[in-house]
Amino acid sequence: MSTTLVEMSEFLQKGRVKNVKELIQKALDEGIAPKTILEEGLLSGMSVVGEKFKKNEVFVPEVLIAARAMNAGTTMLKPYLVQEGVESKGTVVIGTVKGDLHDIGKNIVKMMMEGKGLNVIDLGVDVSAEQYVTAAKENDADIIACSTLLTTTMGEIKNVVDLVKAEGIRAKVMIGGAPVTQDFCDSVNADSYTPDAATAADVALSFCL
Amino acid sequence: MERTSRQLVLDTLNFKNTDGRVPRQIWTLPWAEFTYPEMFKKIQDDFVWDFGGPQTTYEKLPKTQGDAYEVGTYVDEWGCIFTNIHRGIIGEVKEPIVKEEDWSDVGNVHIPEELLTFDIDKVNEACKASDKFMIAGCCPRPFEQLQFIRGTVDLYMDLMDPPKKMLEFMEKMHDFYCRLLTKWAQTDVDALNMMDDWGSQNALLINPELWDKYFRPMYKDYIDIAHKHGKKMFMHSDGYTLDIIPRLIDLGLDALNCQIFCMGVEKLKQFKGKITFWGEIDRQHLIPNGTLEQIDQAVKSVYDNLWADGGCIAQCEFGPGANPDNIYQIYKTWESIR
Repeated sequence: MSTTLVEMSEFLQKGRVKNVKELIQKALDEGIAPKTILEEGLLSGMSVVGEKFKKNEVFVPEVLIAARAMNAGTTMLKPYLVQEGVESKGTVVIGTVKGDLHDIGKNIVKMMMEGKGLNVIDLGVDVSAEQYVTAAKENDADIIACSTLLTTTMGEIKNVVDLVKAEGIRAKVMIGGAPVTQDFCDSVNADSYTPDAATAADVALSFCL
Repeated sequence: MERTSRQLVLDTLNFKNTDGRVPRQIWTLPWAEFTYPEMFKKIQDDFVWDFGGPQTTYEKLPKTQGDAYEVGTYVDEWGCIFTNIHRGIIGEVKEPIVKEEDWSDVGNVHIPEELLTFDIDKVNEACKASDKFMIAGCCPRPFEQLQFIRGTVDLYMDLMDPPKKMLEFMEKMHDFYCRLLTKWAQTDVDALNMMDDWGSQNALLINPELWDKYFRPMYKDYIDIAHKHGKKMFMHSDGYTLDIIPRLIDLGLDALNCQIFCMGVEKLKQFKGKITFWGEIDRQHLIPNGTLEQIDQAVKSVYDNLWADGGCIAQCEFGPGANPDNIYQIYKTWESIR
């Protein structure tokens, strides 16, 4: 692999926005394809961060600054990717369920999914089942991802699953959040429960391949 | 002569409660009172409670706006704006006060000096009139307050490379908390307390190295203030906090309210006799959905693993989603144990 891309990945892991942007320009000048820069420079760095996060070797702040660097990089790279016709690997509609305003967990999952090359549409917090389904239809989403922190709002997840099935849309429903368990996932017939953000991103990618 | 609640709690904290019952406390959110008023009253009436807190009066009122537990907007003592969509619980900060990356707008934060104008004589009168174990009416929360001020995501990122003005503000905030705790420590309360949620569901929220660098020194000062004045120090921290418990023990923390069942009671056994577990019983799964038998087993597992002539306080939170019968059963089981 190009040393420029290796350096880019390492700087991304440290959250160094300026260095990442400089190295993207350098890689473009070297004639490296934008898709290769994205995958081997940016997404590979985020993937390392995700693996370390799963093993508790890095924590939320390290993930956030890496994601910030990745976003800066992808924003810079976007016109080149569009020009080259590179598409995202899948589309996720994400939000915190109706009645719940907590969003740190949802935001981290979003960043991890973007770090896998997925297009993530963030509906924010207090999102109703109808809003998830409408957004999934409008964007032909592969996945609907529901987050909740409160035990009292877990029931909203079932409303989302039921509406997805009633409407017959193809999106898989992924769920997560502090009080959510695999048993709960099974009881509401959601497609996947994941215990952490990095695993959620892995599973989301697998649903899109 | 029967031991007072105050003495019972002190004996428990000092691991010298050889023959008394396990001290009791219940945390209730307004939700519980208006959702289950009869059970709320029954629980209050059927058990003896061992903790109290003095009514606090201020010469200058803290500058809050609204009601923290009502739907709408609430502004706290620091000027942080909370949005709430559920009556009976507290909301979330959605609009931080500090918006600039370099914290150049930190002057918008109000240090709530008004909290220092509380009436010491009234606090002492309340302590004298009660035989309960009295906890101070202030609760430093440096990590959480910084999140309320800056917003969670931005605060976490700032911690990786803190701007100069943020560090200066942290010093100011810490100085304020130290002055506030010192004034409370000079009253007749039995304990001071502090809080900060440090865990997600399965890990610490920040790297322990960052915790050691920025927050451990603050907590050390708070605990030292308490101990210097002969008070006990209590702390609440939600989430998976296993990795910082040894640090808190090392700092001399007396009692920790943590999510025992998020970590697993077996993993906490190593701390038996070193710190008092100030509750709790699993409010994420067992209290809302558990059977009475599961509640019995949970309480017994806490006692079996963590009690050592002290080291446990029978505590839980009666909050949103709770099954009131399970709350009652928690205290009934504790009562049956000793």
